[in-house]
Amino acid sequence: MNTATYRETRHHELRKSRMLMVDGNLVSNARTVEGGVSARVYEGGYWGFASTQDDGVPVERIVDKASRNAQAMARFGQRAALALPGGAYRGEHVFRGRAPLSPKDSVDRLAQLHAWCVQRYPGLKSTRFIAADEHHTKRVATSHGAEVLSSIQRALCYLTLIAEDEHGAPVEVSETVSAKGHLGDLDWSLEALAPQIDRLHDHLQAKRHGVAARGGLHTVVMAPQLAGMLAHEAMGHPCEADLVLGGAVTGGLVGQRVASDLVSMVDIAHTYEGREVMIPVYADDEGTPARDAVLIQDGMLTEFMSSRETAARLGVPATGSARAYSPGDEPLVRMRNTAILPGRDKLDDMIAGVDDGYLLMKTSNGQADSTTEFMFGISLAYEIRDGKLGRAIRDTTISGSAIKVLQSVDAVSDDMYWNCGGYCGKKQLMVVSMGGPALRARAHLGGE
Amino acid sequence: MNEASLQDTAQRALALMRAQGFDEAQVTVSRTRQDELNIAHNEPSLLRSIESQRLSLIGLVDARKASTELTDLGEAALREAVAALFSDAHGAPRDEANAVSSGQQARIVQGPQESDPALLADKVRELLAFRERETPKMMLEEGVASHTLATSHTLTSGGSELSSSIGIHEMSVLGTARDGRQSSSFNYAGGACHDLAERAASEWFGIAEMLRDTEQQIHTRPVGGKFVGEVVLTPMAVDDLLAWLLGQIGDVQLIAGTSLYRDRVGQAIASPMLSLRSRFDAPGVAALSADAFVTPPVEVLREGVLMTLTPSLYGSRKTGLRHVPIAAAGWEIAAGEASRSQLVSAVPRGALVGRLSMGMPASNGDFSGVIKNSFSIDGGVVGQALSETMISGNMAQMLRDVAGVSRERLDMGALVLPWIRISGLHFS
Repeated sequence: MNTATYRETRHHELRKSRMLMVDGNLVSNARTVEGGVSARVYEGGYWGFASTQDDGVPVERIVDKASRNAQAMARFGQRAALALPGGAYRGEHVFRGRAPLSPKDSVDRLAQLHAWCVQRYPGLKSTRFIAADEHHTKRVATSHGAEVLSSIQRALCYLTLIAEDEHGAPVEVSETVSAKGHLGDLDWSLEALAPQIDRLHDHLQAKRHGVAARGGLHTVVMAPQLAGMLAHEAMGHPCEADLVLGGAVTGGLVGQRVASDLVSMVDIAHTYEGREVMIPVYADDEGTPARDAVLIQDGMLTEFMSSRETAARLGVPATGSARAYSPGDEPLVRMRNTAILPGRDKLDDMIAGVDDGYLLMKTSNGQADSTTEFMFGISLAYEIRDGKLGRAIRDTTISGSAIKVLQSVDAVSDDMYWNCGGYCGKKQLMVVSMGGPALRARAHLGGE
Repeated sequence: MNEASLQDTAQRALALMRAQGFDEAQVTVSRTRQDELNIAHNEPSLLRSIESQRLSLIGLVDARKASTELTDLGEAALREAVAALFSDAHGAPRDEANAVSSGQQARIVQGPQESDPALLADKVRELLAFRERETPKMMLEEGVASHTLATSHTLTSGGSELSSSIGIHEMSVLGTARDGRQSSSFNYAGGACHDLAERAASEWFGIAEMLRDTEQQIHTRPVGGKFVGEVVLTPMAVDDLLAWLLGQIGDVQLIAGTSLYRDRVGQAIASPMLSLRSRFDAPGVAALSADAFVTPPVEVLREGVLMTLTPSLYGSRKTGLRHVPIAAAGWEIAAGEASRSQLVSAVPRGALVGRLSMGMPASNGDFSGVIKNSFSIDGGVVGQALSETMISGNMAQMLRDVAGVSRERLDMGALVLPWIRISGLHFS
């Protein structure tokens, strides 16, 4: 019986701030600091995990508890331990941005945004603004020899304008701006945001007179703001090795065509075109050196994102994709910076080439599936008729088989949009970024 | 950290906040211990034990408010947090609606106070044996059996003192069924209870039915064509409707003036078949609000009539509406008179909807979503599992278009919900 053991410890501090202003009222003004130490042990083919937030508990006791938990799993029967692959990263990667904003500065900015909107757009029913940031600092050490200090920081400002349609029903549009770092690193001054808010207000006016989408299969141009969501939900989740082991249909498709040859998709570890990405992961929470996972290359499915254990089970190299959200969480296979790579087309030409379809511009939340049938909400879209934009449409949902949709892609724009404003949910939350160009494809819209 | 220690820490923090100069303050010290036994890919995989602690401070000075949370309960960290909070509050705008609770007293002890790892292991064994015996095509990608004990002590400068010690067992499974290269959509069932030992693992929270149904969802077809039809929502899908309604009667929509129901208390907003009330004594729920009020039972819908809104203390002072404290969870929709099979047999054309996969409904209630883990219904008979099928409609209209409520309900702990038949949905 192989009783190989593996051990990791993680000191993890998570700092967050969040302010929510509704119509000038500061409804939430909160910050949290959460620290803790955890240990995870792989022994006799089972895992044990323990964590505490009590500073007075020595780490050795946590490791011992994790080890005893792994041993306690032997009640389910002895089993062979896997040899866990993956190297051992040693290094420090700490983001150093600008000076932080004080809470008062942040509140003043929110109030200024509200006052400006009220003065400039007297017909507004309501405004809602969120400013938030979070900062993870992790020290990971493993029995394989990894020693890593890393930080992940992201900041976001979420803008929502609400008006009423001709029947008095509320209509809203939203915009998220996000950046690596804290709120002092994000340019969310009124000067920077005013042009975006003006455009948002124009869309709101159009949406007040919006019509329902026609339900069914349509030609859609997905603006760059949507491509990241498509990458994340449609093919990102089904390419996580734990979902593959769980029966996702992607499991049998490596080396096969799953998309048009215009489509390449990568889960980027830390660097894209020579620049550090928004959620840089140089080593994951198992101390594995992180590398890009090329999920789709020129339309062909190539590989999956993996942890040490899922890599061992699939017999592939680990990609360094195991991450934990909070101090008490165990690492799971998670996306990092998932993107569809840009092509050569121009967005305007892509729209001009559509006789009857839709331009999808903004998205809300989305969901993946083991079948690759994805969905995400569309909060802003316009009709396209004879190559020209028409009426706005009301909120709808796009869905389809990711493989069918990606195989139908016939144009990919040459620009690229990144954001890190959302959370991915999968037992735990996770901060991720997503990016991509505009795509033209056939997909299913919900509607009448 | 025992109850006396929680109380001591809370008193120490409140004294520090008073000394700092806060006009009003709320302090909550909480501690959570959890043992969680995990299944991965049809096998027991991980035993996870966590201990967490948290100090939550809310401070008001000159009607300006800020809050903070920290896990380091040492003297130095506490002093630093209180000083920083005072600075944060000074930076906030004045708002006369800010206030903390006063005069509230409660001590709640509920559920299993001790973990029993052997019981968790027994339930995982039962679950895995059931899967292997009854639903061998199912792959349990994730499964959890856990015990959690959450203790807390809250003090306010207004003399409120609330303590709770809430123990729960939880169990959940998530997975897909597979046959050759075909997979079903993932499906999920789970919930919370006081004693997992009372039933076989598969008999909790509809787990057995979910596993059996999912095996029938490997081979699917689109609904075919566009039409206006009916749905029978399973309890998991009813939860989406409930969440939207609760959002409409809560703080953010009321303060923004965008709630569809702001001025509708006392009026019919839903089918007379719908009644919704709280169950703030449900497993895992403490009958206490986040702003430190005891939460008496609440009736939201009585035979379709909206009985109340649910603004917090702040929301109430902001809007002038009556303050109605509610707990973090705990709701039930009253059982109807029809059986589940009667609901289905009354549907001329539509779907039995296991799960709604959709974006957030629009402010006016419009939504569209993919129906997952769902079956077609034609002439009152359940047919093939569906794929690539969307429905669209309006949440507020759906509440009015309820055409039947089942007498059977699924008890998930914090939620007890029936199956509901609704007409007028657009299929595509």
